[in-house]
Amino acid sequence: MARRKRLSEDARFALMAAPGTLFIFIFLFLPILSIIVFSFWRTEVYQLYPDWNLDNYRVLLTTPTYMVFLMRSLVTASLVSLVCVVLGWPIAYFIIRYGGRYRLLMILALAAPFFTGIILRVSALQGIMGPVGAFNMTLMTFGFAPVKVIMFSQVATGIGLVYLYIPFLVTAIYLSLLNFDFELLEAAKVNGAPPWRAFIEITWPLNWMGTIIGVILVFIPSLASSVTPIFLGGANGALFGSVLGRQFSETGTLALGSAMGVVLFAVSGLVIYLMWRTVNLRRAGFTGKDY
Amino acid sequence: MTRRAFEIAGKLTSGALLVLLYLFLYAPIVYIIYASFSKNISWPFPPQFSLKGFELLWIGRTYHEALYNSLILGIGSAVLCTIFATLGSIAVLRYRSRWRRLVVIAHLCPLFVANLLVGISSLLFNRQVLGLPGNMGSAILANAIHGLSFAFLIMLAQMLRYDWRMDDAAMVFGARPLRCFWEITLPNIWPAMLGAFIISFILGFNNLEISFYNLGATQTLPSTAWGSLRHGLGPELPALATLVNAAVFLAFAAMYLLMRYRIFSFGHRE
Repeated sequence: MARRKRLSEDARFALMAAPGTLFIFIFLFLPILSIIVFSFWRTEVYQLYPDWNLDNYRVLLTTPTYMVFLMRSLVTASLVSLVCVVLGWPIAYFIIRYGGRYRLLMILALAAPFFTGIILRVSALQGIMGPVGAFNMTLMTFGFAPVKVIMFSQVATGIGLVYLYIPFLVTAIYLSLLNFDFELLEAAKVNGAPPWRAFIEITWPLNWMGTIIGVILVFIPSLASSVTPIFLGGANGALFGSVLGRQFSETGTLALGSAMGVVLFAVSGLVIYLMWRTVNLRRAGFTGKDY
Repeated sequence: MTRRAFEIAGKLTSGALLVLLYLFLYAPIVYIIYASFSKNISWPFPPQFSLKGFELLWIGRTYHEALYNSLILGIGSAVLCTIFATLGSIAVLRYRSRWRRLVVIAHLCPLFVANLLVGISSLLFNRQVLGLPGNMGSAILANAIHGLSFAFLIMLAQMLRYDWRMDDAAMVFGARPLRCFWEITLPNIWPAMLGAFIISFILGFNNLEISFYNLGATQTLPSTAWGSLRHGLGPELPALATLVNAAVFLAFAAMYLLMRYRIFSFGHRE
């Protein structure tokens, strides 16, 4: 048998890494680039025409409602992320610390509902929180006044988003704590640090990267949420994402929709950048080895 | 002892939070399952048993087509995800290259792009640039973008512990790379590949926001559910939710049992 020529390590790496990377490049990177281009075009009845102009951005910036929707989305996404962190941290900590052999079961049980998809989860939530939902019907059956604030309101949208995305955050912190060395806390204890101080100076900063990843994974889809506000937010609860979606499904103003997409992308990118800047890799236990 | 009291208080509070979160996550699911077996779905008290919703699903042609389309979409997307994620994770873990970090970032960046943006941008890109109309093909491609990150993470977690010296040994004894993959690598990593496949299948099957913009007139289960939710709750929707929840939870229960008894690990490390 003839001696085969072995490919170099670089060539083999390229051969294996190329399919996925090219796929992402062509079907994620190029489409995002293309909506940046289309946002400077013009639409008429679902057709794009390459007349370069800034009209779409002018409309976005000067029509107050669009900015209101964007601000509302930003506030909602920030509050939702905050609530998720406040709830998610102690929960992930509990699972790691006291879960023992049931850790895996506990975290899988939190993650599983995520996979049934947005629409079924939102409709299940509507069964609880809607005007004829179980919560208020129970109250009324026993002669109490219904709680209006969870029927078709911003609050309902917020609760819905926490419901949809908190599994991401708990899982991110869980994975971070899984690799955290709890011996460090013993060292702090031996040296006389009270538990809160050990938490603030050791546990929290060393798991900050996991927390940030979790927050981003909650913030991004909350900022872009389009289905949740339609079904839980009611007539006055529209968010930026739902208005964006409408440009493609109902009004057919594709160029304006592209511009809104670019704004959404830019805002998400900015938020990711600002959050990532707070991560100090060396402080997070990053040793300089590859990942 | 204050330290002891502090610890106990913390344990109780966080444990209570965990229980509350389970309640919050599962109460709506349990309620919709209960409603699906009831005659009156909006306020099913006192309980009256009925299978009307399931009957409607059983005879409804739209639901059959939607189920078929969702299956095709999920399988197509999962096949792409599993192949790309397997190749990508092997590249990143086995070979030294200065492009490794870039490849990891590329495979994970879909996690940080909202579904809505993936949906609308691939709709416009496919239509305007590639000349692809909205159909099953473009929906599969767009969904695979989203699922790839999840599949890649699962593969990466599993393969971190993989001992590449086994492959090197096979190569030293003269195995061609393909044979080495087939006889050494694949038998060791297929549980992780199965995990990646199941997760990306479920994601594609149940996805609404990406599929909605890319499917054109083709209906899937989530888009049919979306339509029926908009036109007022019919009895089919709770029944559909019950079936999908049951399927997802069965898949997760099976994965859990296999991991628990160390038959497969699906990428989870103890």
